[in-house]
Amino acid sequence: MAKIAVRDLRKEFGVGDERVVALENVNLHVEGHVFVSVVGPSGCGKSTLLNILSGIETPSSGTVEITQDEEDAHPGYVFQSSRLLPWRTVMDNLLFVQRNPSSKEARERCQRYLDMVHLGDKGDKYPGELSGGMQQRVGIARAFCIEPDVLFMDEPFSHLDAITARSLRRQLHEMWVETKKTVLFVTHDVGEAVELSNRIMVFAQGGRLIDDITVDLPFPRDPSQDEVAVAKAHVLRKFEELDLVAT
Amino acid sequence: MATATAVPRRRNPVMLIRSPLVARALFPVVVVGVWTLIFYGLESQIFPSPARVLDFMWNEVRLETLARSNVYQTFLLSLIRLFTGFAIAVVVGTVIGLAMGLSKSVDAFFHDWVMATLAMPALVWALFAGLVFGFGSLGPILVTAVTGIPYVIVNVREGVRNTPRELFDMATSFGVPRNRMTRHLLLPSLLPFFFAAVRYGFSIGWKGLVLAEVFASDRGAGWMIKYWYDAHRAYAVIGYAFFFVVFALFLEKFVFDRIYARAFRWRPQAGTVEVVEEAAEPSVQQPTIP
Repeated sequence: MAKIAVRDLRKEFGVGDERVVALENVNLHVEGHVFVSVVGPSGCGKSTLLNILSGIETPSSGTVEITQDEEDAHPGYVFQSSRLLPWRTVMDNLLFVQRNPSSKEARERCQRYLDMVHLGDKGDKYPGELSGGMQQRVGIARAFCIEPDVLFMDEPFSHLDAITARSLRRQLHEMWVETKKTVLFVTHDVGEAVELSNRIMVFAQGGRLIDDITVDLPFPRDPSQDEVAVAKAHVLRKFEELDLVAT
Repeated sequence: MATATAVPRRRNPVMLIRSPLVARALFPVVVVGVWTLIFYGLESQIFPSPARVLDFMWNEVRLETLARSNVYQTFLLSLIRLFTGFAIAVVVGTVIGLAMGLSKSVDAFFHDWVMATLAMPALVWALFAGLVFGFGSLGPILVTAVTGIPYVIVNVREGVRNTPRELFDMATSFGVPRNRMTRHLLLPSLLPFFFAAVRYGFSIGWKGLVLAEVFASDRGAGWMIKYWYDAHRAYAVIGYAFFFVVFALFLEKFVFDRIYARAFRWRPQAGTVEVVEEAAEPSVQQPTIP
């Protein structure tokens, strides 16, 4: 069973007097087949949290611990922009992150996940030949194709148009159900968080985790359903109570 | 439909001239036209007609020359010097450029002097090389290297500074091994800058070489231009200049363009490099005859 444990995490940037605290006293525990959204205003340290968890940045103090079934496995990461290597084909981009790229199994696995994001026939295209939505789907396939137990996503749909984003959210949900991953999903879109997650963690300016909301509604959720709208309103009200809404 | 579009074209010659292909082909015609006009206008004994220059070039190509070495031997020797000198420039420039891009103190150490070298007239190097190394191949080779080095440095340094941070973070988060990152991420991201460095540094090195051959050699293309100058053969000086043009075009079309198309086939539209041209043109560069 996959697990993410964060204890007393603190992160600050800069030197001397110009220090900025990005995360302060963050504690969280996530375990099993759950979809956890991290929401909050911009600059609240959401992305920094994912960067520390994935090893891109190091914490100033505190510990993070990610347990996966396979001991030295890396979590998958879907970024805000697709972050594909423009000079390698779609298939080669997926192979780039494989542990053993030259093996037949790796290639078959990559093909399987390309099929899953409906890009099975685009393996030999370069990223520049694909639309923004397609590139982001390749990014999702790349995160899944290393078959991690833990998946990080940093506002993966925020650059896309509403219709593409909606269809990708559906695909993502189906893949999450099918592959039973532990997902940590950063977003500033409360509606998106309510639609996808079991749990919503609310961050405030200064990188403090201030609320942990359980969303107990059946999937699939449609934004037009009354319950989903009510849940979204509930989270937004919490935002207002906590004075998080920018005035 | 086809005839419908063809009719207004025929009526309007401006439209025809505007087509890039025609415009490109028109350039030499205009040059030869103006040249002929000047030739008849000047009534000079020295100023050659286009036909005189062409005749000279044709004779050179057929190995009929008054000089002591023919055009093939001359260009072969110059090319060997060029490639040797430029190979030195690429190696030295890449090493210094990498170091400058990676370390702020190395950058501070070299920065002003790279800029100063960029502005240094190749003529100074050529004269200096002639004095120190005499009339062999060493002088021209070193001048080529020295004029090419700063261009390679500037471009490689820019390439290192522009390495895509985001892609490295991505690779780190996925635990991609370091050697795979170097091969598939660092090197490809440097390639456009390296390519620009080679292409631009090559033409600069070429100019440096010719100048060096005028002053510090008794052979090679630069020396041959000087030879015809001394012999008061203006048509031969221009003829040799045209050999350069032909050679440069050949290199551009058949070597650089092909390598480029291969290396950058992943680009949606080929044909655009981010050329970093700091201090676009140094003050004195054209191989002028004193």
